[in-house]
Amino acid sequence: MERIKTGIKNLDYILGGGVPAYSLNIVSGSPGSGKTIFVQHIIFNNARDGLRSLYLTTISESQLKMIRHLQEFSFFSHELLGDKIIYGDMGAVLRKEGASRGLDYLVELIKKYLPNIVVIDSLKVIRDLFPDEKAFRAFVFELAALFSVWEITAFLVGEYEEEELTRLSEFAIADGIFHLYGQEEKRFQKRYMRILKMRGTSFQQGEHLFQISPLGIEVYPRLRPGGEELQYEVKRGRKKFGIQGLDEMLCGGLLEGTITLISGATGAGKTIFALKFLLEGVQRGERGVFLSFEESALQLQHTARYLGWSIDGYLADGQLEIKFISPIELDVDKHAFEILDMIREKKVERFVIDSISSFESSVSDVQKYRDYLWAIGQQLRREHVTTIFTVLNEDLFSPLVVSKAQLSLIADNIIILRYVEHNSSVKKVIGILKARGSDHDKSLREYEITAEGISILGRLDKMDMLK
Amino acid sequence: MVSDAIGNRIKRYETLLKEMWAASAKYLGAFSVSLLMERVVWEVSLEYKEIELLQYDQDGVSCARIAARLEENPELPVEDMFMKFIARYVEILAKLLGYERAEEIRKRLRILGEEFNEDPFAKGGMKSGEDKNRH
Repeated sequence: MERIKTGIKNLDYILGGGVPAYSLNIVSGSPGSGKTIFVQHIIFNNARDGLRSLYLTTISESQLKMIRHLQEFSFFSHELLGDKIIYGDMGAVLRKEGASRGLDYLVELIKKYLPNIVVIDSLKVIRDLFPDEKAFRAFVFELAALFSVWEITAFLVGEYEEEELTRLSEFAIADGIFHLYGQEEKRFQKRYMRILKMRGTSFQQGEHLFQISPLGIEVYPRLRPGGEELQYEVKRGRKKFGIQGLDEMLCGGLLEGTITLISGATGAGKTIFALKFLLEGVQRGERGVFLSFEESALQLQHTARYLGWSIDGYLADGQLEIKFISPIELDVDKHAFEILDMIREKKVERFVIDSISSFESSVSDVQKYRDYLWAIGQQLRREHVTTIFTVLNEDLFSPLVVSKAQLSLIADNIIILRYVEHNSSVKKVIGILKARGSDHDKSLREYEITAEGISILGRLDKMDMLK
Repeated sequence: MVSDAIGNRIKRYETLLKEMWAASAKYLGAFSVSLLMERVVWEVSLEYKEIELLQYDQDGVSCARIAARLEENPELPVEDMFMKFIARYVEILAKLLGYERAEEIRKRLRILGEEFNEDPFAKGGMKSGEDKNRH
């Protein structure tokens, strides 16, 4: 099928390659939702590919104001105006000569400019010029036929509320519907896009985050937790921590391409275990990424140096990357997509998220949090990335509580770190709760973190330590 | 009054256009076919003004006015004009319906158009000069 590429970051991926050519699409949303920028970004991208667009305004926004505003975006180019992008006013004709004259005027413009794309902004204004629903419905029907016969892909922009999308006739006639809206989520004012319909092509349904930046529109596709069966090749290789006692407990290391949860109380050393895992990998020539929401790259470098681990060289040559995102700035919808993109692009083999507890505080509900982690986990497994998620156990001396949100379900392996009291002192113990597809040591072992690194000590000798 | 010779000359094109109309209306609907006719008439008229004499509405096609003009001016290149019209029509149709559907229509029409010197139903058809302006 012939398609018109939008050229908007990630949108063509969501659309399976672009908008079907000669389709009639409605871009709906409330004022300020980004509709005009959305279509302008599409027509400027297509103008650069040599396609001509006719942008017809009604009374919703003056051309002068619109162009002044558009100049702020990097996609805008003065050179394209007048040749590849032609602005026209349809509102004056409609108001002076009546709505029925609109189609004839449109045909005249089409014959004059032979556009590949036509935008009418706004259709809602035209709707208000018609005496009744029946007449408007006939107009939209004729408009759709006219555009397809002239091989034009159309975008009709309108200020519609969500409840109107199922009620008004134009949505039944349209081939595609993009609905843009915003909502407050946790501390962020977010913009979302849903594709409600796209005839003739499969597309990714659901809520996709988008942002408006000086680059224009950037879309972050929804991470899909279910839907497709997870099929991937199971590799039997092992990824060591480089910590002798722990690799023995794991019968040689973590199985390649698995997800490991390291759960522990504050100060138990989750970050240090995870960092050691990445450093062991980079020493073996693998690429690693440490995504930190808690400690900055400098802090992690300092920790590594204190423990006597080489890190600076690997960071300098890019084999190891530490990406710090402040929990205040964390936007899971956006960052999760960017991170997965980076992992694919850089062919990362070992990956750490420290900690997924910060993810939870950024997501509006627990179910969405679980869905995100599940989706991220699925994609990491598919890419054969051996991954560690650290998770905070808020109860310092609790028995083996892994997590309140059933996170253990997403993990192939679970390592717990906890404190125990012994003769009026506090000791740290490590245990492997689960190692899917592999045997493992079932005992709890004491461990120490000193300037010499991590040392796994002997087994606990008293069962009552777990109380 | 149109002579028999002129009438016969035009008749075969009219038959072909009527068949083309019916075949495409099945897929596009009469309203869209009418719009498609308007588009192709306009494109071909940039080279052959007389194509504007082609009469069409939602009930069908008539070449009576073209026949009358041909009576007045027997030198009119009606063959070229109709060939261009048909080729362009089928070309656009192929884009709108997909090549599979358009191929079915082409096959049906080719039987009717066997006696023509040129084959307006060849895949891709004859390109009108106008469309080169469009990317």
